[in-house]
Amino acid sequence: MASNTNINITQLDFSSIKSNFITYLQSQNTFQDYNFEGSSMSVLLDILAYNTQYNAYYLNMVANEMFLDSALQRSSVVSHAKLLNYTPKSAIAPSAEISLVFSGTANAAFTLPKFTNFTSEAIDGVNYNFVTVDAKTVNATNSTATFNDVTIKQGIPAAYRYTVNGTTNPSYKFEIPDATVDTTTIEVSVQVSSTNSSSTVYNSASNYLTLNSTSAVYFLQESLNGNYELYFGDGIIGKLLSDGNIVNISYVATDGTLAAGANNFVLMDSIAGYTTLQIFPVVPASDGGDKEGINSIKFQAPKAFSAQGRAVSKNDYITAIQQNTLGYSFDAVNVWGGEENDPVVYGQVFICLKPAGSYNLTQTQKQRLIAEVIKPISVLTVTPTIVDPDYTYIQVNASVFYTAENTNLTAAQLTSGIISSIQAWGDGALNTFNSTFNAYDLLSAIQSYNQAIITSEFNIKLQKKFLPNLSGGTTYKLYYNSPIEVGKFGSGVTSYPDLQYRDPANLSTIIDGIYIEEVPSSTYGVDTIDIINPGYGYQSSPTVTILGDGSGATATASVVNGSISKITVVNSGNNYTQAIATITPATGDTTGQLGAVVVNLQGRFGTLRTYYNNASQVKTIFNANIGTIDYVNGIITLNNFNPHGVNDPLGQLTISVTPTTNIISSSYNRIITIDANDSNSVKVIVRAKTTT
Amino acid sequence: MANLQKIYSDLDLTFRRLPVTNDVALSYDDQSVIRSVRNLLLTGFYERPFQPNLGSNLNKLLFEPADQLTSNLIESEVRNVISNFEPRVTINSINVTITPDENSFNLSMTFFVGNNTRATTVTLLLQRSR
Repeated sequence: MASNTNINITQLDFSSIKSNFITYLQSQNTFQDYNFEGSSMSVLLDILAYNTQYNAYYLNMVANEMFLDSALQRSSVVSHAKLLNYTPKSAIAPSAEISLVFSGTANAAFTLPKFTNFTSEAIDGVNYNFVTVDAKTVNATNSTATFNDVTIKQGIPAAYRYTVNGTTNPSYKFEIPDATVDTTTIEVSVQVSSTNSSSTVYNSASNYLTLNSTSAVYFLQESLNGNYELYFGDGIIGKLLSDGNIVNISYVATDGTLAAGANNFVLMDSIAGYTTLQIFPVVPASDGGDKEGINSIKFQAPKAFSAQGRAVSKNDYITAIQQNTLGYSFDAVNVWGGEENDPVVYGQVFICLKPAGSYNLTQTQKQRLIAEVIKPISVLTVTPTIVDPDYTYIQVNASVFYTAENTNLTAAQLTSGIISSIQAWGDGALNTFNSTFNAYDLLSAIQSYNQAIITSEFNIKLQKKFLPNLSGGTTYKLYYNSPIEVGKFGSGVTSYPDLQYRDPANLSTIIDGIYIEEVPSSTYGVDTIDIINPGYGYQSSPTVTILGDGSGATATASVVNGSISKITVVNSGNNYTQAIATITPATGDTTGQLGAVVVNLQGRFGTLRTYYNNASQVKTIFNANIGTIDYVNGIITLNNFNPHGVNDPLGQLTISVTPTTNIISSSYNRIITIDANDSNSVKVIVRAKTTT
Repeated sequence: MANLQKIYSDLDLTFRRLPVTNDVALSYDDQSVIRSVRNLLLTGFYERPFQPNLGSNLNKLLFEPADQLTSNLIESEVRNVISNFEPRVTINSINVTITPDENSFNLSMTFFVGNNTRATTVTLLLQRSR
């Protein structure tokens, strides 16, 4: 036989392996029939190639599953995560807050039991069950028992009971055979035996350093089949169970995020005979989550490991918050140190959170997050502070030009499709911290929607939405974080919807239909003149000459000890778009020299006013100055803003501006987003090409 | 007669041991081709890994009625498999005889191997084994 230098061993598929064998056999002459399919040699080659490929495939799969990055089987990913001390998150039940008032009760302690059942309104046609997760007791007064802010979680209470038996279950692992378990609701108690009913509550083990042989803790892990299982201490780390003990596990089995948004509930149980009650919604169901997927485990596990259960660096905070066991889930988390903040606050760390499915966290949620998630692991001298996200909404107005023959969609279908496409793009690319509005990507999102689209263009407006305080004058500063275009008449700053004010002349009269607008600015004079070199040797005030494309601006200089100390603008002039100023020593002053100044033109600030159309439809100014616009820094200030009402069901006022640039970027607590709840957030006009 | 060079050489699937050399037995030329034809005819579709089209449908046809139609189908199947997978063979004649009492077919084919002018005959009894 020939040497085996001709055999290529790098290919792994059947046909390549077989063809390699054939190539190898060509170098010998004992067997000549290897190339004929019917030959016995070919039969052997087939078996060999099949076997080789099978082994190669198998080894490849084994190698894949050996690493967290390449593992495909959930059990492998979970196992790798276990080495990083990471337990995948279970489905999380959405929670809502309600207040309950029972009337006609005795004036005594009144208890709302744990796992009291409520049913929600229909969400997508399904009524979901909600339960209380703790018992709550209040003292009834005036024959009324009031429970404020009761947290209820979506799901159905479930329980398992295992008798410890070291022979049949030597590892003392107890599986919860339920894929819908919300592990944050698990409660475990261990009863001594079937004849001794005293029991001990076991808690989830978190900090292993504090555990000893008597710690009543359980450990949670995901088993090979994807269910969660509990196991207990070995008598050194955690208390050891003994045969005959009875492990009681109770939890809530949830449908994950499906019930988010439920806000109206009906009591399903009779509480101590009382069913007469009123239920007031406080916070709608939110913060649910589905069981953590493989990709998320691959992403989160190494980060949890690097944080080592401590919040020191920025990413430690982000990881701890994302992996909180309170059941809160977040679309985005941003953290920055007080030294980076504006204004600088040393010794604080700022945390900004965008909750999944809503805009802001409630005060209770913030307090719980700080007390139960962040404080226990943060550095002692650092104070965590949660700030609300500052949303800047982008309103997109797009025009699309298309060939009608290249699509079977109607103009209306095309329009709604493009709107969905833009909103989907906004959802993915924006809607988080540190994002950038990329005009090219937006155009690609429009263009890629349908091949009939020839070209498109768009302009954007930036919007701030807030709920004005209607009970007293408040000053608002709206940060658009982008330079604002100086408005022309009829454009520029606009507000929506209309406001109501009391008529100052007759306070019992309410004036409707009041809007905010920018005062059109047509004249630009000289605002100030800054000294960049005071010069020296001036014996008297030099002459200041303002040169530019406008007219009428004059200024004087003051001299102290031979140097220019101050420039006073006497007349601003008008119609300047550019101007410079020169300093000329006064007549007879032979020593003064080198004085230099720079001119600042007006136009950096604008004014806002309110107007309405009176009964004769004549535009009437209601208040000529309600605030200012800083065009350069993109800030709108509303001074002592005190409307009587806002013509919006939620009382929300929107103020829109046109930015000078389409490059909009966010940082710190700012989020730029396309508002999915506003039907006017994306407007598209489609126009078909005329072919004749 | 000149010492003919062996053109075709293949392993004998019976894996006989040669008593003299203790090596595994080989089959040569016509014998090797006959063995190849038999292998092809007796291999069903999907039998060989990754090569679903290799082989013939003879084992299925044996479950059809033992009539002239089936015997024609068998003949056509044999021609197909030879023309697809055995380029060394030029078929001279195929004769399928039905023996209804035994539920079997007697296949006899005569062919030429390569440029060899001497015809080779293969006879196979095709019978259901179950």
